[in-house]
Amino acid sequence: MVEVTALTDEVQEKVAKYLDRARREDGDINALIELNPGAEQAAKEVEKKIDSGKGGRLAGYVVAVKSNINVMGLRATCASKTLENYVSPYDATVIQRIKKEDGIILGMTNMDEFACGSSGETSYFGETQNPRAKGRIPGGSSSGSAVAVAAGFCDVALGSDTGGSIRNPASHCGVVGFKPSYGRVSRYGLIDLAMSLEQIGPFANNVRDAALLLEVIAGHDPKEGTTIKDQFQGYTDNLSADLDGWKIGFAREFEEFTEPAIVRVIKRGLDRLSSNGAEVVEIALPNLDKALPTYYLTVFVEFFSATRKYDGRRYGYKIEDVCGREVLRRIMLGRYISQKEYSGRYYKKALQFRSLIKRELLHALEAVDVIAGPTVPKLPHMLGEKIEDPLVMYGYDVLTVPTNLAGIPAGVVNVGRIKGVPVGMQIQGRPLDEQKVLNAMHALEKD
Amino acid sequence: MKVIIGFEIHEQLATKTKLYCDSPTNYREVEPNTNVCEVCTGMPGAKPYPMNQDAIDAAIEIALMLNCEIVRDPIYIQRKHYDYPDLPSGYQRTSLPIGIKGELNGVGIWEVHLEEDPGKYDPLSGKVDYNRSGVPLVEIVTAPDMHSPEEARSFLRELTKVLHYTGKVRPEGGTMRMDTNISLEGGARVEIKNINSVKGAYRALKFEIARQKNLRKRGIIVKRETRAFLETQMITRSMRTKETAEDYRYIPDPDIPPLLITEEKIKQIKSLMPEAPHLKLSRFMEQYGLSRDDAWAITSEIDMADAFEEVAKLYGKPGPAASFFRHIVKKVLGYNDLSFRESGLSGKAIAELLSLRDSGKITDAGAEQVVRTLVKQPGDVRRIIEKKRLIRIDEDHVLEKAVKEVLEENPGAVKDYKSGKAEAMNFIIGKVMAKTRGRADPKVVRKLLIKELG
Ligand SMILES: [Zn+2]
Repeated sequence: MVEVTALTDEVQEKVAKYLDRARREDGDINALIELNPGAEQAAKEVEKKIDSGKGGRLAGYVVAVKSNINVMGLRATCASKTLENYVSPYDATVIQRIKKEDGIILGMTNMDEFACGSSGETSYFGETQNPRAKGRIPGGSSSGSAVAVAAGFCDVALGSDTGGSIRNPASHCGVVGFKPSYGRVSRYGLIDLAMSLEQIGPFANNVRDAALLLEVIAGHDPKEGTTIKDQFQGYTDNLSADLDGWKIGFAREFEEFTEPAIVRVIKRGLDRLSSNGAEVVEIALPNLDKALPTYYLTVFVEFFSATRKYDGRRYGYKIEDVCGREVLRRIMLGRYISQKEYSGRYYKKALQFRSLIKRELLHALEAVDVIAGPTVPKLPHMLGEKIEDPLVMYGYDVLTVPTNLAGIPAGVVNVGRIKGVPVGMQIQGRPLDEQKVLNAMHALEKD
Repeated sequence: MKVIIGFEIHEQLATKTKLYCDSPTNYREVEPNTNVCEVCTGMPGAKPYPMNQDAIDAAIEIALMLNCEIVRDPIYIQRKHYDYPDLPSGYQRTSLPIGIKGELNGVGIWEVHLEEDPGKYDPLSGKVDYNRSGVPLVEIVTAPDMHSPEEARSFLRELTKVLHYTGKVRPEGGTMRMDTNISLEGGARVEIKNINSVKGAYRALKFEIARQKNLRKRGIIVKRETRAFLETQMITRSMRTKETAEDYRYIPDPDIPPLLITEEKIKQIKSLMPEAPHLKLSRFMEQYGLSRDDAWAITSEIDMADAFEEVAKLYGKPGPAASFFRHIVKKVLGYNDLSFRESGLSGKAIAELLSLRDSGKITDAGAEQVVRTLVKQPGDVRRIIEKKRLIRIDEDHVLEKAVKEVLEENPGAVKDYKSGKAEAMNFIIGKVMAKTRGRADPKVVRKLLIKELG
C-alpha cells in the first residue's frame, strides 16, 4: 500500500494517487459511485494557493462525500434508481465551506439507499465490501464514506447520521466517525431521511482530522433554521487527551443489549480512559429499550413526508415504483401511521417517548462528562447472509439511536478487534459539547 | 330558510422575497420559472430558510387589525401533504394560527395563518411555473356568521378594505382567493373552492343556495361535499364527497423551529399600525362633523382618507372638502377605474383647487376638469387652469354674447320655456355651460337668461 497522508505529498501528486488507487481497487470494494472529474484541476489550484501561502485550513485534504449531499455538478443519487440521473445544481453548505477552505472533493460514495439501512447492502449500485473485515458488511448507511477512508481512497469523508449511520460503519470499518449535536452543522443540501434527527459529520483516520473537518463544516447557517447561533472554539486547538478529574458514565443497560465479546473489548477501552485520569462511574438508562421503536416511528413519518417530492414528475421516476424493499417498507409504514386516525397513537406517542429519552440522557450527562459504551451490539454479518427480518436489522441501531433522539454529539473510535473485526467505542456528550467527546476519543486513540 | 356562510380567505402578502427563500415575489412581471431557486422548487436537500420576518410581521398586523388575540405559545409550521403538480415538495407549509378569536363587522375571525403559495399549473400545456411557489399568503378563517350572499359580499369588501389599509397585501388587487362553507338550516355543509373575487363569491353563493333549495324541494338530501366554482359558467360542480375527503397527514415541519411571538413584537407592530377603517370612519364623523355617507366614501381607501385629512388641514373647511371628495373625486376615479393611490392625486393639489374655486377663480365644473386632467397626468393646478383656459368668465359682455347665441341656436327650447315648461331652462343653461366649456357660473347664467327671456 502506498502511504499517503495529508500535507506531506504535493497535492496534485496525492490526488492523482488517490484517484489511481480508487480506479484500480474500487471495482471490488464498491465504495464510490462517481469520481469528481474536476479533482485534478482543483488540486492544481489548491497547490498554487499553498505555494503562495494562501492555502485554507483544508488545503491538500481530499474529501469523499456521501451521495445524499449535494455537490454542484456531481450526482446526488442517494444510491437509488429514483435519483440516478439527478445532478446537483448547487452546493450544500458543508461543501461550500470545504471548498472555501481548499478541500478537494474526490467523488460521491456508495450508501444504503436513501440512508435506509445499517449494513451497506441496500444500494441500487450494489453492496460495499468492508476492507478491514473481509467478507463482512461495512455497516451503514454511510458505508462508502467509511470504506473510502478505510481503503485509503481519501483523507477524510462526509457521512450523515440519522440513527447511527456514521458511527455504525466507523465501528465496523475501524475508522473515526463523528455525529455532531443537532443544529451544530447545517443540513442545507443534505437529502432527507428524517429531518429532526440527522446531522452531517466527518470520517477520518484519526481524531485530529475528524476535528478539523468538523470545525470547517460546523457553525450557524443563515439558510438553515435549525442551526444554532453560538460561538464554538476551534476543536483542533483544544484537542487534549488529558482527562484528569473527568467522570465517564457507563450504563449497565449497555451490557444487556451487547454481545459479551464486544463488552469485553469496550471495557478495555474504559480502562484506557481511566489511565488518562478519568473515573468510570455506572449510570442508569432504564428507557434505553424504548429508543428503537421511538426512533423508527419518527423515521417512517418524516421519511414518508420527505419522499413526496419524488412523484415521478420531476426526477424521472416515482420513488415507490423503483426503490428497494427497505425504502418502500419505510414509506408505506410512514403513510400508514401518519394517517389522521392514527397519528395520535403513533407519531405523537413517539414524540412523547422522545422527550422522555432525551431527558434521561441529559440527566445522566449532568453527573458525568461523557458517556462511553459500545457502538453496535453485535459484529457485522457476512455479506450474502441475507437478513430478511427488518427487526433483526434494526437491532444494529439500538445503541446509536438514543443520541439522535436526544440531539447530543457522539463519536466513535476503534478500541480493538474480535477475530480481526474492528470494534468501535462510542462516546456521547452534552449538547454542543463536541470538544469533550473529541478529547475522550483522542485519549482512546493515543493509548 | 336560514343560510349559514363562512369563509377561508387567502391573500398574498406584499413582501420583496418569498416566505422561505430569497427569490423575488414580482412573478407577474417576469418570465416563467425565473424567480426560483432550489428552495422554492423543492430540489432534493434544499431546506427552507428561516421564515421571512416581513411576512411574519404582516400576518401579525393583519391579525391585530382583525381584532385577534395573538398566539403566544410556540406556533408550529405544519406540512400539509397532497399530490398535485403545482406543489414541488408534495406538501405545503402552513402555520398553526398566529391570531385567534378576532372579529370584523360582527363576523367572527376564527384564525389567521401564514402559509406559502404553490406554483401555478397549467393543465392544458402540462407546465408548472414556480415563480409563485413560496410567495407568502395570509389565510383568514371566519366563523359561519354570514346569512346571505349580500352579507357575505359586504363582509368581503370590508375585509379587502382592512387588508389594503395595512399596506401589507398586493396593492394591485386581484390576488384574493377563497373557499366558502355554506349550509341551509338543518342541511349538510358544502364547501366551495376556486373562488377568485368578491363578485365570484357572491355569484357562487347565489348559485349554491338556489341549487340546495331546489334539491330540498325535490326531497333530495344535500350531501356533505366539496364543490368547485366554475367562474366562466357561474356554477358549482362536485369535486369530492366526505367519504373520499383528503387526508393531509399534517406533521410539524422538522426543518422549521416553531415561531415565538413576543409581547415586545406585538407592541411594536401595534404602535406602527394604521387606524382601522371603522375607527377612522367614526373619528371622521366626530372630528370633522361629516355625515356617515361622506365619511364612508372617504375612508373606503386609506390613501384617500389621508389626503382628505391633509385637505381639511390646508383648506380648513372639512364639510365642503368631504362633499368634493365624495361627489367629484370619487366620480372621476370611478370613471377612470382608478384607486386614489393609483390616480396620483394629492391632498395638497385638492386643497389648492378648492381654494381657487372658493375665491371664484374657477367654477365647480372647472374644478372637476382639473381633477380629470390630474388623474391622467399629474401637474401643477394653476398651470392646468391656465393651459386649459378654465378661468371663470366674469366679464358680463362675454357671457351675454354666449347666452344670446344659445338662444338663437335653440328656438324650440325657448318656445317650450315660454309655453310654461320650466325644465327647458336647465337645458338652455346646459348649452351655455357647454359653450363656455364650464367656465361660466351657472347661477349667473340663470340670472342672465331670466332677464333675457323675461
Ligand atoms: Zn426560491
